Amino acid sequence: MTEFLLGAAGFVLLTVAIGLIRVLGGPGNVDRTMAVQLLGTGGIAALLLVAAATGVRGAEDVALGLALLAAFASVAFVNSAAPEDDREAGRANE
Amino acid sequence: MSVIQALDISLAVLVLAVAIWTIVSRDAFAAVVGYVAYGLLVSLVWVRLFAVDVALTEAAIGSGVTGVLLISAAVRLRGTEAAVAAEWPGAGSRVLAAALCMVVTAALAAVVLTMPDPGATLAPEAARHLAETELGNPVTAVLMAFRALDTLLEKVVLFLAVIGVWSLAADGNWGGIAGPRRATNRQGALAFLAQLLPPVGIVVAIHIVWIGANEPGGAFQGGAILAAMWMIVIMARLAEAPAIGERRLRLALVAGPAVFLAVGLMGFAVANAFLAYPAGLAKPLIVFVEVFMTLSIAVSLPMLVLGPPDRPSS
Repeated sequence: MTEFLLGAAGFVLLTVAIGLIRVLGGPGNVDRTMAVQLLGTGGIAALLLVAAATGVRGAEDVALGLALLAAFASVAFVNSAAPEDDREAGRANE
Repeated sequence: MSVIQALDISLAVLVLAVAIWTIVSRDAFAAVVGYVAYGLLVSLVWVRLFAVDVALTEAAIGSGVTGVLLISAAVRLRGTEAAVAAEWPGAGSRVLAAALCMVVTAALAAVVLTMPDPGATLAPEAARHLAETELGNPVTAVLMAFRALDTLLEKVVLFLAVIGVWSLAADGNWGGIAGPRRATNRQGALAFLAQLLPPVGIVVAIHIVWIGANEPGGAFQGGAILAAMWMIVIMARLAEAPAIGERRLRLALVAGPAVFLAVGLMGFAVANAFLAYPAGLAKPLIVFVEVFMTLSIAVSLPMLVLGPPDRPSS
């Protein structure tokens, strides 16, 4: 069972790695942002599989943290990709 | 080669590949994406090294908060990228820089490889006295009991960093607000995600602080997740950051170091030493201090990321 879980983790990691090659290349920043989402999802899957196989305590909490923070990073990326800050627009109107 | 070894090697190759991609990448935004991805991978490495506390910190600080800080920097520097690209260094200086970097890397590798095995360690000592702190997590015991002074000073440094950032404010903006204005129109996927994620995040953060006494976790990791949740709400323009002149904000900023210091001074009276805990009360006191530290960390990190106030509060 341990071997199977580790093999599955390796497979997930491999698909993520292949996906990363394509996604990180872009061409746009939005495409690259998807790399973090891909790694977030795949990384959590691999992490949980490896943790179950090797019996690391507390790995579930790391998975929870990673899930939250990958979503957080996507918010930050989307926010920065907005054409110009509303703040600047507001200032121009004042 | 067993399956686990193959897995570790492929993880290491992936980390190196993403690191090289980040360095080689010419576009600042792309490099930040690479850096955040790198942080996520490194936290997997820490789990493989059975350092789950470090993995949590790396996920929260390395990829989360630092990532946002770098993204804001990249956005601000967008206008200057063309000028930087025009000042591209010649082949000679690039080769020199690469050579110097490789020398430093080789020196570091040599030092690590020549370390005595097993190295000098206080781990058995810490494990022996773990029971006296009534804690189950040795990392928390080191941070909050054996090396409590370091942790106290760390929190003071965080507080000083916030003062340093605020001191960059223009005179007219002192006491004002940093970050984007609240939006009048709250539609869209971003606003929805910012309403959906924080309730879950707050529960996870409290869980990680609470469980930190006995399992991997603690005030810093939980505080950083809380900080991230607050920043989502600010970035999605659901709420504005508080004015830096606000009393509640300032109280929250000093609460952690102040309570820690007060408990430390109390140690003189009840346990004959600074930062010593009376027997039997160590764990409740540590958890008490951690609650206030979590609050201060959750408030300090967004203040550091948002930067100095750039408009008056009224």
